[in-house]
Amino acid sequence: MDARVLKAMEPYFLRDFFNPSAAYLPAKKVAAEYETAKGIIAHAIGAKASDLVITAGATEANNLAFTALNTGILYLETEHDSVRKAAEQHGGEAVRVLSNGVIDLNDLKTKITDEAQLISVSLVNNELGTIQPLAEIAGVIREVKIDRLKRGVKRQLLLHSDASQALNLLDINVARLGVDLLTLNSAKIYGPKSVGALYVSHDVHLSPLTYGGGQEKGLRAGTENVPGVIGFAKAVELAKEHLNGNRKKYTLWRKILLSELQDYELINKKHMLDNFVVLCYNGLDAERLIYLLEDREVYVSTGAACAASKGQKSHVLKAIGLSDEQIAGSLRLTFGEANNEEQIHEAARIINEVVTNEKRRLGR
Amino acid sequence: MKVFVGMSGGVDSSVSAALLVEQGYDVTGIYMKNWSRDLPGMKCPWAEDLADAKRVAVKLGIPFEVWDFEEAYREKVVEYMLREFQAGNTPNPDIMCNQEIKFKLFYEKAMERGADFIATGHYARTGSLSEVATPVLLRAVDENKDQTYFLYRISNEALAHTIFPIGEMLKPDVKKLAEEKGLHNAYKKESMGVCFVGEVGMKDFLKEYIDVKPGEIREVETEKILGYHEGAIFYTIGQRHGLYISGNKGEINDGMPYYVVKKDLPKNIVYVSKNLNHEAIWTKELKLKDVFLRMGSDTAFSLSSPSSVGSSQTASLVREAQISVRLRHRAPLIPAKFDGETLYFEQEIKRPASGQSAVLYDGEICLGGGILL
Repeated sequence: MDARVLKAMEPYFLRDFFNPSAAYLPAKKVAAEYETAKGIIAHAIGAKASDLVITAGATEANNLAFTALNTGILYLETEHDSVRKAAEQHGGEAVRVLSNGVIDLNDLKTKITDEAQLISVSLVNNELGTIQPLAEIAGVIREVKIDRLKRGVKRQLLLHSDASQALNLLDINVARLGVDLLTLNSAKIYGPKSVGALYVSHDVHLSPLTYGGGQEKGLRAGTENVPGVIGFAKAVELAKEHLNGNRKKYTLWRKILLSELQDYELINKKHMLDNFVVLCYNGLDAERLIYLLEDREVYVSTGAACAASKGQKSHVLKAIGLSDEQIAGSLRLTFGEANNEEQIHEAARIINEVVTNEKRRLGR
Repeated sequence: MKVFVGMSGGVDSSVSAALLVEQGYDVTGIYMKNWSRDLPGMKCPWAEDLADAKRVAVKLGIPFEVWDFEEAYREKVVEYMLREFQAGNTPNPDIMCNQEIKFKLFYEKAMERGADFIATGHYARTGSLSEVATPVLLRAVDENKDQTYFLYRISNEALAHTIFPIGEMLKPDVKKLAEEKGLHNAYKKESMGVCFVGEVGMKDFLKEYIDVKPGEIREVETEKILGYHEGAIFYTIGQRHGLYISGNKGEINDGMPYYVVKKDLPKNIVYVSKNLNHEAIWTKELKLKDVFLRMGSDTAFSLSSPSSVGSSQTASLVREAQISVRLRHRAPLIPAKFDGETLYFEQEIKRPASGQSAVLYDGEICLGGGILL
């Protein structure tokens, strides 16, 4: 988390520890500041504070997006588990990706029957960094809607997108993207963990996940997480300041890694955010590399952190057609604001060394 | 010398692997995947255990593999356990796991793969005696951690090809060594009891698999109904806790505890008594079934205690040999005589649950044992 975020949050743990719903004036002040913070988050995506439902993280926001439906959900097969599993709970069907990780629009078109009501495609994939062509998907949806109107089919067709990975690197605007529902995540932009939001277009009706005091438009009852939202808003402000600078920096760092690392197969070649570098060391076991690299203070991953801890193989790498052996040898390198260029050179050097040692152990 | 070491992710098997590497063996670490199903309210920690084991293997620079025994474990251990509980017994799945999985399937697969030895992180030792050809299973140096109770039924063939690298060590020294070697799991919480049941507890596990019915709790002397239970299989003879006995406090419950003394499984009735001296609780004799004597029935009783390894005593059959017995893991050794079928004690002992094992010792030597009727 950014230290400036923590500083912004601090008063709301201590001095301003009022429940925003309370009747007395200091609580009303906190309520107003909470709404202002929501407004900052909303404005970052071209929305209003009243369009947001604050949740305890992106997983909850993704779950909330599906609550109103029990049929007609399509989701991209490479989605994060919080979309896949939630969509499956509501009878979702998976849409295929091409081998470059980008949505197969033809498969999407064939799967949009008259039953379809919601399509969920993340803006940026959490394992490959693949940027999905949301505006194009929205275009497909627009055509289907027009066709449905012509034929007198009344069913809605909504677009949901999990934008957790992208708020600090892409210019996100709900109108330009053409989304009806959008998931945001505070922790991914150096805000506090377990804070997120679902943008809900005014004409979309969801069912509550929790019942109680009717907070967050009645969709997410429970006392507001005031410090969390204040911190989230601060993180959004900081992210916006560095939007372009960070992208340029990350493009350079990716180039450095790709030129200095040795004997790898690049997995995510195109259409991705530059802070995702997914490599395959054929014939090596990437998990072993993780344990060897952690001793050298280089922290890398295989698939999604939560899937790896359950011993599951990455469904994303499988979906883009990698063999089991390639998946076993695949490493995900990401970097962020805490890093500097010197560290990128250093990481490349250490990874090369560890890979060489591991090959020597195997007699290669 | 090629060794396959079973690595669970715990400190004992991690240190075992480290010691083997240090001693110059060609070591391969194996995680035995026996159970991975989550239970209600408990995530099965297998993936984390596997990661812990693998991390140690990587830091030791040894190859590491996962061997999947889930199907066999379910068939040989879990189903056995459920069958025994349904028959009103209290089985010990860890003993069965060692007999059928770790020192059978794991051993056999390792041998197929060209191993000279297998190794595990058990607190136990092996040795040899001049008068018997079979290898000898010996109690661990750390009396407090000795695990031979769980190992008494493993085959001699497997034992002859087994190394217990920490059998000579004390647990605190194992932990210290793990710290010194920078093994991250030096402070890992120890798994207790049946590995896959873990924190959920046996009762919750059984509820998942066995359709139990509530029934009556009656006082054995009067046949009077004192309360109701969740299922007779959850109770063991001699058990004192967990009886939902209600009623007129003045009349029935004078503050004295009740003990389970009998189970009528067909009628699903649990009988209790306030009489702690009830004959069902105490006994001077225990009859065993499925007796397994590690050195054959003749030599098993021939060694007069105390025996020391390597001594050359004459092997002559002595019936009703004076031996010592362990009735639970870590329970004290009790002197007894054994005639090949029945254990005779000098003083009355509290009767262990049927289905548990009695493990026989002559000094440090584990002679084998049997399952209590």
